[in-house]
Amino acid sequence: MFNYKFDWAIVTSGKYFEWIISGLGITLELSLVSIALSFILGLIIAVMRMSNVRPIRWFAHGYLEFFRNTPLLVQLFFWYFGSYKILPKVINDWLNTMSFEFAAAVIGLTIYTSAFIAEDIRSGVRSIPKEQMEAARSSGFSYIRSMLYIILPQAVRITIPPLINQFLNLAKNSSLAMTIGVAELTYQARQVESYTFKGFEAFTAATLIYLALSLVITGLVTLYSKKVLNPIGAR
Amino acid sequence: MKKIVVVLTALLFVGGLVGVALAADTLADVKKKGVLVAGVKDSTPGFGYIDEKTREIVGYDVDFCKAIAKRLGVKLELRPVTSATRMPQLIAGNIDIAAATMTITPERAQQIDFSYTYFFTGQKFITVKGAVKKLSDLEGKKIGTAKGSTSEQNAKKALPTATVLSFDDYPQALLALQQGKVAAVTTDESILANLLSKAPDKEKYEIPAEIRISDEPYGLGMRKGDKNFVDFVDATLLEMEKSGEAKKIFDEWFGPKGKSGIVLQRTFKITAGK
Repeated sequence: MFNYKFDWAIVTSGKYFEWIISGLGITLELSLVSIALSFILGLIIAVMRMSNVRPIRWFAHGYLEFFRNTPLLVQLFFWYFGSYKILPKVINDWLNTMSFEFAAAVIGLTIYTSAFIAEDIRSGVRSIPKEQMEAARSSGFSYIRSMLYIILPQAVRITIPPLINQFLNLAKNSSLAMTIGVAELTYQARQVESYTFKGFEAFTAATLIYLALSLVITGLVTLYSKKVLNPIGAR
Repeated sequence: MKKIVVVLTALLFVGGLVGVALAADTLADVKKKGVLVAGVKDSTPGFGYIDEKTREIVGYDVDFCKAIAKRLGVKLELRPVTSATRMPQLIAGNIDIAAATMTITPERAQQIDFSYTYFFTGQKFITVKGAVKKLSDLEGKKIGTAKGSTSEQNAKKALPTATVLSFDDYPQALLALQQGKVAAVTTDESILANLLSKAPDKEKYEIPAEIRISDEPYGLGMRKGDKNFVDFVDATLLEMEKSGEAKKIFDEWFGPKGKSGIVLQRTFKITAGK
């Protein structure tokens, strides 16, 4: 009955193994850069969203709703193909000599994920009693400084579990970058499949690597919050 | 620990099922069922695409399936497949035959059986007019193509220093060329000719005639070891060549007044041999 011959050696050694590993490298690079950038951008958008200045608040609100509620795949196509129409020719030509595929993927993933992160951080901030902000302001801190030194350090700590979710989503969403020609893990798994027709082996390998990657991210963030954040918080 | 064992066993079982294919006699099965299930492309003009008026899949590949079904005396059911799904679908038994612009390669022939060549083409490039005189002009450049095809492997072999970018489908690769993101788009000539015929700014591009990097014989795919069916299909193809039916189908789609608008020369004949 089982006339499919499993050939695990294909993905554990040799040329195809190297492809998978190079794909993992790109996935790691893509995920880590985008995680860092989306966290920073998410913080900024969250603060803007809570600002007392109306236009800033409205802008942040529009940004959130727009990027949270449109498919990531469409956004990636927009950054890669659509940006061509908006940017001047000189910039387009320059971008085309670079690895624009990777850059467009980072931009797309960062902006998409930052919208979710901003909302998570905002709910974290809202869980901090508002008297703290009032106390900070009456002690002479500016709004930005009160946020930066008093509110956000506490809010981010509370936000860690949902943030892990967003980081994991980002790492897995990075597989969509293959649609614009970024040779990340899923792309390479598919390459292996189309060269060897051993799709089951290739995608099993990719799945296990994603699983390991997700567990590592979860572990690192948890470790960071336990070892670095909590002692300072003295909660 | 016990749980883990149970989960792993379940996974292996599911994995095994994926690999199951019925090593039966398709010829007898198809006759018994009264229907031949053919996997065809539904977005490759000329070969398998959706007719705007009838909303049905039509094309060169489809007509060969029709001819085979007719000789079997059964109905034909068409299922859309892509370059990436046609082989798994065939092996899993979801389709009986794959007529999906599939190049015969030794690697593929290890997994499935091919009929005689029923269409012959070669891999070329679309480039900006006048930009590329010889193949080496493309060294070090970015080249666009689509995933899961032989085009990508050929391009990497012919141009070791070029970066080959694989997009989801050919229209995206062409868009990348139009935006200057790649220096050329490469795949089989017939697909290129069609792609270009639909581009609004087609006068800016060309398919340099001298630059060809591969021979692409297309074969109909059938399950491995399905000898009766393969023999039947091969005999049918030879008969169609002899009676002129094969040439008629070619002219209907790719002739000077062909329905697809893609004009190609028929430089081949269907003969016994792959």
